[in-house]
Amino acid sequence: MRMIKAFAAIAATILLAACSDQQAAAPATTTVTPGSAADFRQNVGDRVFFDTDKSNIREDARTTLGRQAEWLKKYPNYQVTIEGHCDERGTREYNLALGERRANAARQYLVAQGVPAARLKTISYGKERPDPVGSDEAAWARNRRAVTALQ
Amino acid sequence: MKQLQFRFLIIIALALPSAAAAQRLDPVHVEDRFNQLQQSITVLTGQIEQLQYRNQQLQQQLEKMQADYEFRLEQLEKGGTRSGTAPAARPRTPPAAAAPAAAQGNADQAYHDAFKKLQDGDYAGAESGFRTFLQRFPQHALAGNAQYWLGETFYARRDYKNAMTAFAEGYKAYKSSPKGPDNLLKLGITLATLGRKSDACAIFARFKQDYPRATDLQKRRIEQERQKDGCS
Amino acid sequence: MNTRSDMMLPRRHTILGGVALAAGAAAPAHAQLTIDMTRPSFEPVPIAIVDFKGDKVGADIAGVVRNDLQNSGLFRSISPSAFIQQNIDPNAPPRFQDWRSIGAAGVVIGQVVQAGGNIKVDFRLWDVVAGNQATGLSFTSQPNNWRRLAHIIADAIYKRVTGEEGYFDTRVAYVSETGPLSARVKRIAIMDQDGANNRYITDGRTIALTPRFSPTLQEIVYMAYGENNGQPRVYLQSVDSGRRELLGNFPGMSFAPRFSPDGTKVVMSISADGNSDIYEMDVRGRALRRLTNTAAIDTSPCYSNDGTQIVFNSDRGGSQQLYVMSASGGNERRISFGQGRYATPVWSPRGDHIAFTKISGGTFGIGVMRTDGSGERMLASGFLVEGPTWAPNGRVLMFFRQQPNSGGRAGSVTLHQIDITGRFERQVPTPTDASDPAWSPLIPQ
Repeated sequence: MRMIKAFAAIAATILLAACSDQQAAAPATTTVTPGSAADFRQNVGDRVFFDTDKSNIREDARTTLGRQAEWLKKYPNYQVTIEGHCDERGTREYNLALGERRANAARQYLVAQGVPAARLKTISYGKERPDPVGSDEAAWARNRRAVTALQ
Repeated sequence: MKQLQFRFLIIIALALPSAAAAQRLDPVHVEDRFNQLQQSITVLTGQIEQLQYRNQQLQQQLEKMQADYEFRLEQLEKGGTRSGTAPAARPRTPPAAAAPAAAQGNADQAYHDAFKKLQDGDYAGAESGFRTFLQRFPQHALAGNAQYWLGETFYARRDYKNAMTAFAEGYKAYKSSPKGPDNLLKLGITLATLGRKSDACAIFARFKQDYPRATDLQKRRIEQERQKDGCS
Repeated sequence: MNTRSDMMLPRRHTILGGVALAAGAAAPAHAQLTIDMTRPSFEPVPIAIVDFKGDKVGADIAGVVRNDLQNSGLFRSISPSAFIQQNIDPNAPPRFQDWRSIGAAGVVIGQVVQAGGNIKVDFRLWDVVAGNQATGLSFTSQPNNWRRLAHIIADAIYKRVTGEEGYFDTRVAYVSETGPLSARVKRIAIMDQDGANNRYITDGRTIALTPRFSPTLQEIVYMAYGENNGQPRVYLQSVDSGRRELLGNFPGMSFAPRFSPDGTKVVMSISADGNSDIYEMDVRGRALRRLTNTAAIDTSPCYSNDGTQIVFNSDRGGSQQLYVMSASGGNERRISFGQGRYATPVWSPRGDHIAFTKISGGTFGIGVMRTDGSGERMLASGFLVEGPTWAPNGRVLMFFRQQPNSGGRAGSVTLHQIDITGRFERQVPTPTDASDPAWSPLIPQ
C-alpha cells in the first residue's frame, strides 16, 4: 500500500509538472500563484456536474475530482466546503436533500482519493443559488453541480 | 449507522475471496461498488412497488368480476330455469385457514366438484357433494359457502322447507362467513315464500347489525325484499 | 395592495356592465342565496354589500367584505353605484323589490357604533328572493381590529350561503424574494389572507425558507441558513415577540419542518452522511425520534388532519413518489403511481384529500388525490408551480408560480389560489416576489 501511495504521489508530481509546463507555454494566461485559490479554480477546476436527479460521480467529474484531490493533498493548509446544488426543475425541499447527496458524493470521492475527511465539510444550497441564471437545458446542466470551495 | 455497517460488510466480502486483487481494495472502487449496489436496490424497490400495485389492482378487478358473476348466477336461479350456459367462472375462494396442504387440496377439489354439479343443474348430486364436504371439512374456510350452496340446491328445486333449514343452519353456524349476508338474505326470502312474512321481516331486521359492512348491492337487495314483504 | 387594485379594475368594469343590463331586465329567477358546491358548475351568487352606516370605517369594512367574497369566485359583488335603495335603515328590512330589480340574491346591511373606545359592529344578510333575514351577527372590538371583523363577517356570509366554513379570517406566511438570483434575499413574511398587514419575520441576512404555522398561529417553524455559510437548520419563532430558538442542533442539515395538528410535535428531515431521513421532535421536551431509515431521500413530511399518519416523498423506488406511514413510523406504503415525479404532499384539513406537486414531461402541476392515492386530479400547471397549502376549510389551495428566467434575470415568482375543483385561479397580491406559501388555520377568536 505504501508503495502504491508513493507511486501515486510521484505520478501526481509528474502530472502537475506537465500542467505547469503547459501553463508556461501559454503566454496569454494571467499569472496565478501556485497554491492559491485562483490556481485551484483556474488550473484544477472547482466544480463537477451531475445528470438530472442523479448524484453519482460521472466519468468527466472523476478527472476533475482526481485533480482536486492531488492539489488538496499538496496544499494541506486549506479547509474545504463542498457545496451541492441543483437545477430549478425540482421542488425546494427535495432539492435541498439532493444537493446534500451530491456534495456528499463528491466528498466521498475525495476521501477515497486520500484527502483527510476532517478537512472536508459539505453544505447543500438546493436550487437557491443558481449559477448561471437561466431556464434552458444548458443552464440547468451547469447548475447540477458540486463546488469545492476553499476556506 | 446502518449504511456504515453495510459498507464495512462489502469491504470484507470483497477482500476475502481475492485479497491479492489490489484494485478491489481501492477505496474508489469500493465506493463505486457500494453505489452500484444501492442503485440496484433502488431499482428493485421501485419494481416491487409497481408490481404490488398492479397485483392489488388485478385483485380488485377480480373481486368485482366475482361479485358480478355471483349476482348473475343468483338472478338465473331466481328465474327458476337452469340453462346449460352458466358462465364457467370459479366461485370465490377466500384465503384458506391453516390446514395441511394435502387435505387442503382434497377439500378444494370436493368443493369445486359439488359446485360444478350445481352449475350443471345436477341439484341432487350437488346436494350430496356439499353434504359430504361439510361432514369432512366443517372448519374449512369454504364451509360457509358450502352450507349456503346446499341451501340453494333445495331452493332451486322449490324444496323450500329443506332450503329454509339449510339457510337457517348456515346463519347459525357460519354467521361470519363471507357468504353470511347472502345466507341471511336467502333465509328471509325462503321464509317469505313459505308465507312466514313476519319471520322473514324479523330476519331482515337483523341484517344491519349483523353485517354493517355488507356491500351496497346486498343492502339494496335486503331493502327490496323488506318492501316486497311489507316489513315495517 | 397596489397589485390588487390594478388586478381588480378590469373585473369591476365588466361587472358594472353586467349590472346595468340586469337592472333593465326583469330579475333573474335563478339568483338563489345558496350554493351547492358539490355541483360541477354554478353561477356566482350576486350579492350587494352596502357600506356600513354610523362611522367612516363602515365603508372600509364593506370594501373588505366585498373583496373577500368576490375573490372566492363563488360570489359576484354588485357595484354600489347600481344600488337603487338609498338611506337604508340598518335596523329595518330593505325594500326587497329594489334589490331584486338589480339582480341581487342577497343584500348585506350593517352598522358601526362607537361604544366607549370600542366599536360595535352588527350586520344582517337579507335573502332577497325569500324576503327574510338569512343571518345576522354583532361584535364588539377595538377600532384597529376592523379588518378582522370584516373578514369574520365575510366568513359568516360564506358559511350561510355555501354551507362550508369560511377561510377569510386567516393569515399566510410566505418567503419574500428580492434581488438578483445569484444573491437572492429570501425572508419570511406574514400577511392577512387578502394581502393586508404584511410584515417580515426574518431579517434577510441568511436565506430562510418553508415557513409553517403552529395550530394556534402563535409560532412558526421554518428553515434558515446559518451565518457565514452555516448549515440550514430548523427554527421555532414566536410570531408576536419575534423570539426564535433552534429546534435541535444536529451536525447535518435539518429542514422541511411541519407542526402536528395538536402542535405538540414538529416533523422534519435531518440529513446525516448526505442522506435525509424523517424525524419527529417533541416541541416541549425536545426529544427526537427517528421515523424513517432508508438510504434514499425521505422528505417533505406532513401529518394527516387527525395526526395519526404522515405523508411524505421519497426516491427509494428510483424516483420521487408519495408514501404514507404511521405517525410513529412504520407501515410505509407508496400511494402515487401515475406518470412522473410527485412531491410536497399536504394533507387536507378535512382529511379527504392530499394535494401535491407533480413534475411530468417537463412541466409542473398542482393536483389532489384521495388519501389512498386514487382519484388523482390536476388543478393547475405551468413552467414551475410548486408547494400547495390548504385553506382551513379544505376547499381552496394556495401555491406559487415561477416564470422562466431569461437574459440572466429572474422570472417573476407569485402566489396563487385556486378552488379544489380547479376553478377561480387568481394571483394573491404581495409586495415582493413570493414563494412557499403556508396558509394558517382560522385565527382563534
